[in-house]
Amino acid sequence: MTDIQQTVYVVEDDEAVRDSLELLLKSDGKLVKTYENAAVFLKDYSEKMAGCIVLDIRMPGMDGMELQKKLNEKHSILPIIFVTGHGDVPMAVDAMKEGAVDFIQKPYREEALLEKIEAALEQDLEQRKTLDEKQEIIRRIKSLTPREHEIMDRMIEGQANKVIAIELEISQRTVEIHRSRVMHKMGTHSLAHLVRMVLSVKNLIDAR
Amino acid sequence: MTEVVSENAEVTVLLVDDNPQNLKVLYETLKDKGYRLLIANEGEKALDLAHRHQPEVILLDIMMPEMDGYEVCQRLKANPATSDCAVVFLSALDDLQAKVKGFSLGGADYISKPFQSLEVIARVKTHARVIRLERELQARNRELQGDQARILNSISEGIYGLDEHGTIEFANPAAGVIMRCPVEDLIGRNFFETHFSTATEGQPGLPVYATCREGIAENQRDIRMQRTDETGFPAEYRSTPKHDGDELHGAVVVFRDITVELENERALDEARELVQEQRDQLAHTSRLTTMGEMAAGVAHEVNQPLTAIANYARVSKRMMSVENPNLTVLQETLDKIEAQSHRASEIIRRIRRFVKKPATGKEVLSLSTLLEDTRQFAEVDARNNDGAIELAVPADLPDVLADPIQVQQVALNLIRNALEATRSAESELPVEVSARVTVDGGVRVEVRDHGIGLADDAEEKLFLPFYTTKDEGMGIGLPTCRSLIQAQGGEIGFERPEGGGACFFFTLPVASAPGTTSCPSGTSGAV
Repeated sequence: MTDIQQTVYVVEDDEAVRDSLELLLKSDGKLVKTYENAAVFLKDYSEKMAGCIVLDIRMPGMDGMELQKKLNEKHSILPIIFVTGHGDVPMAVDAMKEGAVDFIQKPYREEALLEKIEAALEQDLEQRKTLDEKQEIIRRIKSLTPREHEIMDRMIEGQANKVIAIELEISQRTVEIHRSRVMHKMGTHSLAHLVRMVLSVKNLIDAR
Repeated sequence: MTEVVSENAEVTVLLVDDNPQNLKVLYETLKDKGYRLLIANEGEKALDLAHRHQPEVILLDIMMPEMDGYEVCQRLKANPATSDCAVVFLSALDDLQAKVKGFSLGGADYISKPFQSLEVIARVKTHARVIRLERELQARNRELQGDQARILNSISEGIYGLDEHGTIEFANPAAGVIMRCPVEDLIGRNFFETHFSTATEGQPGLPVYATCREGIAENQRDIRMQRTDETGFPAEYRSTPKHDGDELHGAVVVFRDITVELENERALDEARELVQEQRDQLAHTSRLTTMGEMAAGVAHEVNQPLTAIANYARVSKRMMSVENPNLTVLQETLDKIEAQSHRASEIIRRIRRFVKKPATGKEVLSLSTLLEDTRQFAEVDARNNDGAIELAVPADLPDVLADPIQVQQVALNLIRNALEATRSAESELPVEVSARVTVDGGVRVEVRDHGIGLADDAEEKLFLPFYTTKDEGMGIGLPTCRSLIQAQGGEIGFERPEGGGACFFFTLPVASAPGTTSCPSGTSGAV
């Protein structure tokens, strides 16, 4: 996964700011891609994008906040750094509630911006790693038979083998065999770990 | 005396003869003809009756004892009360001498004795009629003269009649009042010497001189005229030449003291100046308010170039830190920094100009330039708050005569209102700004939006001070706009276009068009 190149996506309507930011980030060794408005970025967006977005909060047409909402609908995990103007703090707070990583006020110091970008890229990396882990969990869950899945659900709810056997009208021995297969397929020995794994992907499964 | 007489009625005829027989014949001849007949048998009695009754016609015997007819006639004519009656001599003397003498003494006619009754009736009738008409005429004349005198007396303006040397031949009572001396004292004086201390006899260039000498009418205002007591007063006068046929006979001067008028005008001017000052003040306050409302947008607008400059500067430093830096790229980057600094200072220059006080006054200006500038200004706000502005100004639009700051203020105000209305309606359609020449030769600027439109009572209220439909509005924007546009000699208003939204417009006079000087804004002192 780490072989994916992280890119800084700059969405900024002002040509001079966009151009100067691109030069600045490139001179710092970053991969940069610029967009003159939110719509163009949205058209270009794919799940495969890795890195972070530096997003101007005020733009004609679709503004930064709207783009953030649209990306959230697409389950984008790209961290967003909002670039705000003077007096945009209330907007920035809203943006943070919607999951933005950070915001920075124009005009900014380069160090501050680069710091925030580094942090965002780090977070992106982490999220991607976690996402990979989650996808592994989902893959394993999918390998369970329907019966195994059913028994795993009851295990997570904390039902004892005896209760499961009675309710499913099977022998307690059969329950034990299924149970050990579930643990094996999910790659764990501890019920607590299993519970944590399943819960961590619960929202992803529900979303599907 | 002035009573109107109908045919014969109230016509009095006096018969004078020392011979009772003659009197009887005359009486018999004229009675029942509708005359009032009076009889006298001697001169004294005839004069007395004539004095008391003013007969129209007197039949007067020449040959009488004591006082003959000639003397009676002389004395009748000498007395103004009886001088107008027609004296018809009665005489047996059929000689030329007597007749000529009778006429020379004022007699109107004669009748020879013995009388022919038809002749007596005819002559009395004729003379009675002539005298009656004459008396009527005189009565009319007196009435007319009375009217004329009353008019001349009642006119508050002074009137002089001057001869060609400027000697005052006539002065009405008002002239005396203005000059503070009796009218009689003015008559005979020289107009120029009396009223202008600098006058030596007949000095060209003095007021009225050209009228007296060359027959050129004059009309001047705020001329200093002196009185006989050496005090003076500001005057307005009109002088008209008096002509008799082709000949010039001096001038008639109508003049008045305009001290109070001038004071009133000064007071009015001061009041106007005050109004003007207050309007400028209000306009300035309104501009500051607008700038305050636009502060966030302006800060954003200035921050853009500053951000870019900071970025470019950092990039430049980094480029220089390597060995053999690429000077061409470095040069380019520095050029970009320069361009961005110009951009920032342009924004600040625009703001400074906009909030400058006082406004710069009217000048000839190109609306397309001004509106483009205003559009860029308004876009500070538009970018900040969404919304687009489209500008359509024909290339051949004539220049206007107006105060650029105030016109920009009005245009900006209307555009910002339009943007706000557009936002409120969540419309994506741009605000359309256009300009064109009107049928009456002015220029009309329109700002049309596709926003929420106007309230039903907008006509009554929209331009009222302190009326506002905005939560944070003060309600001085549009009233200020109206007062500013009116000061430029234009109009401002709005329409409800088909398809919704609102369309505000204002007009301005075209520069150098003949109409601009007569624009109704005498109030604008800033020309």
